[in-house]
Amino acid sequence: MTIRPPVIEITAAQKMFGSFQALSDINLSIEQGEIVTLLGPSGCGKTTLMRLIAGFEAVTAGTIRIDGKDCAGQPPERRPVNMVFQRYALFPHLDVFENVAFGLKVKGTPKAEIRERVQRMLHIVQLDSYANRYINELSGGQSQRVALARALVNGPKVLLLDEPLAALDLKIRQHMLVEMKRIHAETGATFVYVTHDQDEAMILSDRVVLMEKGRIVQIDRPETMYAAPKSLFAAKFLGETNLFEAAMAGDNALGMTAVTGSGLRFHSSIVPASELRGKVIVSIRPESFRFNRDNDTTQSATGQVEDVIFIGSRSFYTICLADGVRVRVQVQRSTRTSLPKPGEKTEIFWDSDNVVILPQS
Amino acid sequence: MRMGGLLAAPAVLYMVVFFVVPSLILFVYSFWTAASYRIVPDFVFSNYLNSLMSPLFWKVTINAILIGLVTASITLVLAVPVGYYLVYVSRSQVILYLILITWFSSYLVRIYAWRTLLGTSGVLNTILIQAGIVDTPVGVFLFSRFAVAITLIHIYLPFCILLVVSSLSEIKKDLVDAARDLGASPLGAFFRVIAPNAANGLVGAFMLTFVMVAGDYVTPQMLGGSSGQTTGLLIADQFRKTGNWPLGAAQAFLMFLVSIAIYFAVMGLGRATGLVVKRRPIGKAGG
Repeated sequence: MTIRPPVIEITAAQKMFGSFQALSDINLSIEQGEIVTLLGPSGCGKTTLMRLIAGFEAVTAGTIRIDGKDCAGQPPERRPVNMVFQRYALFPHLDVFENVAFGLKVKGTPKAEIRERVQRMLHIVQLDSYANRYINELSGGQSQRVALARALVNGPKVLLLDEPLAALDLKIRQHMLVEMKRIHAETGATFVYVTHDQDEAMILSDRVVLMEKGRIVQIDRPETMYAAPKSLFAAKFLGETNLFEAAMAGDNALGMTAVTGSGLRFHSSIVPASELRGKVIVSIRPESFRFNRDNDTTQSATGQVEDVIFIGSRSFYTICLADGVRVRVQVQRSTRTSLPKPGEKTEIFWDSDNVVILPQS
Repeated sequence: MRMGGLLAAPAVLYMVVFFVVPSLILFVYSFWTAASYRIVPDFVFSNYLNSLMSPLFWKVTINAILIGLVTASITLVLAVPVGYYLVYVSRSQVILYLILITWFSSYLVRIYAWRTLLGTSGVLNTILIQAGIVDTPVGVFLFSRFAVAITLIHIYLPFCILLVVSSLSEIKKDLVDAARDLGASPLGAFFRVIAPNAANGLVGAFMLTFVMVAGDYVTPQMLGGSSGQTTGLLIADQFRKTGNWPLGAAQAFLMFLVSIAIYFAVMGLGRATGLVVKRRPIGKAGG
C-alpha cells in the first residue's frame, strides 16, 4: 500500500460568526475511503465544520486542505467535494435523471457519458426505473437515494452528508444506514457524515469525531470511544452509563483505584487520557455488570433489586446499593443462570477493564 | 371547506359588486353608440372596428406597450438582484421596509421631482454643464420616453421588488447551495435553478408591473411631451372629454386583450428559452 496524503487535512481551524465562536482549534485529518462521522448535540458546530469543507463558509483562521491543496478562497463549485443536504435539496423542476445529471451537465460532460454515468449511479442506488419521475412523486427514502446519486455521480474526493437520515422515519432510516454502507463499499468514496444520532455514528463510522461547543473532544474508532471515553461528555453522549462520584485513591502498574464517599472501591485498568487526582467520576456501562461471579472477579457491591424491565433479548435492572445509589444493570436473557427477582437482595460484579475513571468536568 | 367559503365570501362579494359587475356593464357599453354626449343602447361593433382601424389608437397603444415592456423589463432586471440579496443574503426586513417607505411619498410629488431633476435648469443638466460635458442644457431629458421610463421605474420598482421577494422566498437557499455544490457559478445557479423555479412568480411580477406601467397615463402625460400619449390617456379622454363612453369601453377591452396577448407571448418566450418550465408543486419530498 502506498502512503497517500490525507484527503482532508484541517489544521487549527477557527470560525467566528460575528462575536460568536462557532468553531475553535479544529485539527482533523481524514484518510481516503474512510467513513468519518462528526457527532455532537445540536449547536456543537458539526454542520458548520461540514460547510467549511464544502466551501459555503470560510475559515476565520487555520487551513483546510482537500487532496493536499489549500482551498482557501475556493468557492463550493470549484471544490472536489459534493454534499447531500439534510432536506435533500433536490431540484423540483427536474426529473430524477436530470437531477442526477445536473453536476455533469454544468461541467459540460458529453451527453453519452452523462447518460452512462447517471444510469450506472441510479443502478447503484436502485432507482433504475425512476429516471423519469419527478421529485414530488418520490418517497422520503427515494429522495434520499436521488440526493446520494446526484452527489456521488460527480466522483467527489469526499462525500459530505449533513444529517441525511434526519427527515426519515425510523424503519427507513435503519434500512438506509445499511444501504449507505453498501453504497460506500461500492463507490469507495470518502464519507464525512454529520449526525447527532449516536447509533448512526456507531453503525456507520470507521472513526467518530465527537464535538462539543465548537471543539473536537475526542476522535476514535466507535468501539474505542464507547469503551474508553476520554471525558464525562463522551461517556454520557455515547450510550448509557452509570456514573459515581469518587476520589482517587492511588495508582500502580496494574491501574488506578477510586473510592466513593460510602467506601465503594473501583479499580480501573484503562489508561486515562490525562493525569487524574482528587475528585473524579467513575463510569461503568450497564452491560458491564453481572450477577454471577467470574473466577478473576474481584470487584463487587451488594444491593436490592428495585425494578426489572424485560425487553426480550435483554433485561434492565435497577439496583439500589447499600448507600442509596441506584445502578442500572443490563443482562442478556439466559435460560441457564437464574436472575434475581424484584425486591431480592443481590450482589453485582464488574471487571477492571470496564471501569473508566474520568475527570470531573 | 364551508368555513373557507365563509371567510372568502366578503372578498368575493366585493370583487363581484365592484369589479365583475362594472366590467360587465362596461362590456355592454362597448357595443352601444354615443350621440351628442348621450349614450344610446345598441349592438354595434363599430367601436371596436373604428379603434382597430384608427392609426391614432395603434400609435398610442404601441407607445403604451413599448413604455410598458421597456420599463417592466428594466424594473424586473433591477428588482431581481435586490430580491436575491434580500431573500438569500441579508434576510433583513429593515432594508425591505426602507424600500417600501418610498410609497409614503405621493405619486404626483415624485413626478414633479423628476421634472425638476431632468429639466433644462435641473440637477442633471447643472451637473453636466459644471463637469464640462455639455455647454448648453440638454432638453431631451425631459418630455421624452427616457424621462417617462426613468420615472415609471422609480415609482414601480419597490412594487416589483416586493413581488420578486415573494416569488424567491418560496425557493429554499438549499437549492442554491446544492447547485453551487454541483459546480454551478452564482449566476449559473440563478439561471439553472432559481429562475426556472421562480419563473411563474417572476413572469407574474413582470406582467403586473407591465399592466400598471402601460396603464399609467399621468406620468407619460406629464413627462413624455409629444411622446406621452398612451392608450390610458386616450381612454380617459373618451370618458372625460368627448363623452364617448362606448368607444372608451371598447378601447379598454382591447387594451385588456393586448395585455393577455403579451402575457402569453412572455410565457411562450420563457418556454422557448427554457427559463420557464412546467411547474411541479413543491411537495414535501422536494422541499
